[in-house]
Amino acid sequence: MQLFKTPSIRFMKYKYIALAVTAAIVLSGLLNIAVFKGLKLGVDFGEGTLLRIMTKTPSSEGQIRDLLQTIGLGKSQVSKIGNTGQEFQIRALETAPTKATDREQIESHEALADRIIAALRGGEGAAEKARGLVDLNAIDEKSLTALLESAFPGSGPDAAQRILSYRTQTGIITDFKILDGLGLKPDVQAFLQDKAYLGSLTVLSRETVGPQAGADLRRKAVQATIWSLLGMLVYIALRFKIEYGVSAIFTLAQDVLITMSVYSFTNREINLPIVAGILTIVGFSINDTIVIFDRVRENQKLMRGKPLEDIMNVAINQCLGRTVITSGTVFLTVLALFLFGGEVINDFAFLMLIGTIEGIYSTIYLSCPVVLFWQKWFGSKKTARR
Amino acid sequence: MKKNLQWKVVLTLVIVGGAIFLAYPFSDAKIKRGLDLKGGIHLSMQVMTDDSINIETDQEVGRLEELLKKNSISFAKVSKEGLGRIAVQGTLADQEGKTRDLFDEYSRDWEYSFAGDRATLSLKPLVIQFLRDQSVSQAKETIEIRVNGLGVSEPLIQRQGADKIIVELPGVDDPDRVKELIKVTAVLEWKLVKAGPAADEATLLAATNGQVPEDAEVLKGDPKRGQGGFYLVDKVSVVTGKDLRTIRRTQDEWNNPAVAFSLNSDGGARFEQVTGANIGKQIAIILDKKVQSAPVVESRISRAQGGIIRGRFTAQEADDLVVVLKAGSLPAGIKYLEERTIGPTLGADSIRQGLLAGLVAIVAVMIFMVVFYRLSGINAVVALILNVLILFGALAYFKAALTLPGIAGIILSIGMAVDANVLIFERMKEELAIGKGVISAVAQGFSRAFSAIFDSNLTTIISAVFLFQFGTGPIRGYAVTLTISLFANLFTAVFVSRLLFDLTVRKSAKTLSI
Repeated sequence: MQLFKTPSIRFMKYKYIALAVTAAIVLSGLLNIAVFKGLKLGVDFGEGTLLRIMTKTPSSEGQIRDLLQTIGLGKSQVSKIGNTGQEFQIRALETAPTKATDREQIESHEALADRIIAALRGGEGAAEKARGLVDLNAIDEKSLTALLESAFPGSGPDAAQRILSYRTQTGIITDFKILDGLGLKPDVQAFLQDKAYLGSLTVLSRETVGPQAGADLRRKAVQATIWSLLGMLVYIALRFKIEYGVSAIFTLAQDVLITMSVYSFTNREINLPIVAGILTIVGFSINDTIVIFDRVRENQKLMRGKPLEDIMNVAINQCLGRTVITSGTVFLTVLALFLFGGEVINDFAFLMLIGTIEGIYSTIYLSCPVVLFWQKWFGSKKTARR
Repeated sequence: MKKNLQWKVVLTLVIVGGAIFLAYPFSDAKIKRGLDLKGGIHLSMQVMTDDSINIETDQEVGRLEELLKKNSISFAKVSKEGLGRIAVQGTLADQEGKTRDLFDEYSRDWEYSFAGDRATLSLKPLVIQFLRDQSVSQAKETIEIRVNGLGVSEPLIQRQGADKIIVELPGVDDPDRVKELIKVTAVLEWKLVKAGPAADEATLLAATNGQVPEDAEVLKGDPKRGQGGFYLVDKVSVVTGKDLRTIRRTQDEWNNPAVAFSLNSDGGARFEQVTGANIGKQIAIILDKKVQSAPVVESRISRAQGGIIRGRFTAQEADDLVVVLKAGSLPAGIKYLEERTIGPTLGADSIRQGLLAGLVAIVAVMIFMVVFYRLSGINAVVALILNVLILFGALAYFKAALTLPGIAGIILSIGMAVDANVLIFERMKEELAIGKGVISAVAQGFSRAFSAIFDSNLTTIISAVFLFQFGTGPIRGYAVTLTISLFANLFTAVFVSRLLFDLTVRKSAKTLSI
């Protein structure tokens, strides 16, 4: 099957327009990051507390924010996850930054998470706890096993395991009735109804990163990115020419800047997995760039005497079929992740969707023109003669 | 079959077979899942290495006082001036030489200077560095012991940087217990008791007119150990957790459970001297500034013999005390920098969704390749499957954990594997279009596309190596899967795919299904 005959589009004709567009996008993005919205650093880099909870009955962001208001944390970001109305993510930012020492800060962040959980639970559980009941939505396997073993010697581990694997699967136990379906004996169920209650929420995850660790992670992420870019620069400069290496780095820097800008515009948070996502985009982009550079390298031998600009046009056209097929495939893959990947992967997939499109553009309209301009400015006489 | 194809087939089968052997049955035991996919606890903590210097300084203050007294050198006061700094005040000028000799002989870890009637000692930088380093590695070992006591499978305890320790406990479902266990910051000290236990501070200080003497401090009994109340103890400790050599549960002469400990030679000597001089007095065992127990010294405890801590222990209590004391041998406090708890539900969700998405993606790519490139597409599909198999084999071999960013790395490598095939196939089409024969088109397709595939894969591998070197947790996970599968890619997309063509395309073939 042939997608299309090798076209002969004069890509490089539009290089000035393209460079202007690129500059406009990058500048507006930078401006937005520097002056307006800024870059939202996630809990990994920006310190603070991130909680994910599941409620027993459907709730709403507003209700949760109202509860947080009671402890003065009404400004926390609350976002719904999925469409059951039971899962929420809470990012707590302290209302007033405390001028505490490092030690106190991490403690206060941890305490913050505890306070939020307490506030969301409200007064519930106090009466039950006073009667010595345990929260079936919070108890760990060992304690539950011990409790059941005390009343039903021999069948404790099995029963506890059934209950907790159900809880792991669904996130929360909403009703004692579901215990019916777990193959538990009626007297075990009656015992549990007597000795336990169902708390109104479970904590799916809680993450606290102190300021020192946040700064450390930030520094290391930046350091890793810069070193890997430098590594690529050296390799490409060795395998091709210095200007190709420089241009590849320009291209990649643009990829990183544009994706970060999109993140700034769409108010998404930058976390460590997102850094991995940005690096993936960089990976695809460098792949595209090298494929075209490779073709340019090959064509230079075949088309001696032709200007570099023409050689590049031919190379881009020759690779166009491959570019469309590969990027199309990747785009499909990422679309699958975006649609089926669930919340955790969603942010990453979103990033990749932008990245694949942006990567093609940057390969054609940044990597090649930069090489051209470099040769125009610093070009050796040998190239000029060509 | 051609001769040169035979060894290629054998090599391919060996590599793929080896990968399957390593990864089979693709279970949890073989392919480890990272915390984000499995659930668990990640803790990053800093060892407060200053603590160990402070303890060293406090001990030196006590040692110096005794030393000066013993050698009848007059002085007004020995006091701690700061971190690793001690001042001796009120020394006499005519005793300076004698004092210097003393310092030279007994305080080799300290630098000293004299100014007027004052001598200042400061811990040598090398010694400070050694103490800090030692306290971190000791802290790590201690945390290892404690965590192993939890019975968690495959815990990861790692030293990071100068003073950080990372603990990862996969699959732990009660984070509070773990945090509690590690958080017992646990600075262990033995100190002489001046007074106590008393019900409140006023009673305790009645003998000293309500004042806390300069060389003493008031500590509370640990209510958890059933001994509340207040104690007045020496500021300077006799020995600390650093001086412990062994500790274990034992039985006393009436067969009651007790805890035996032995000290290293330095601590043993001090313990021997202090216990000998204080028979009948109480010596408090203090953990995190809380008095655990305060047994009466019954006899001088020689340095070889070590000691026995007895009380009305049950076997369980004695075991607990061993754990506490072992825990207590942390040489410095711990501060949490980072704390992440991923519940099992979220981990299970992520893996389910990640797997579904990954499968949908791979199947979509495969269908596309077969539809678009027909029989040649099948070659690409086989290469892709082998790539994934080799990746899992390598993950199992290196015991590297699969994480969400790791899946991102796999996606990039799948993309690049597909790209390698697309590059080759498109090149073959070009060659066919200019009228080359099938065999030569296949050969040209591979050889012409090779430089692009090689350069792009190697560039990305180089960047991944740097990411691994300089990155942290998630970024490293990404770099690992990416590097492995790109190497696998160079093998499958170029070598194996070519082999498949060589095996399936006849020499006389007039057309190529592409």
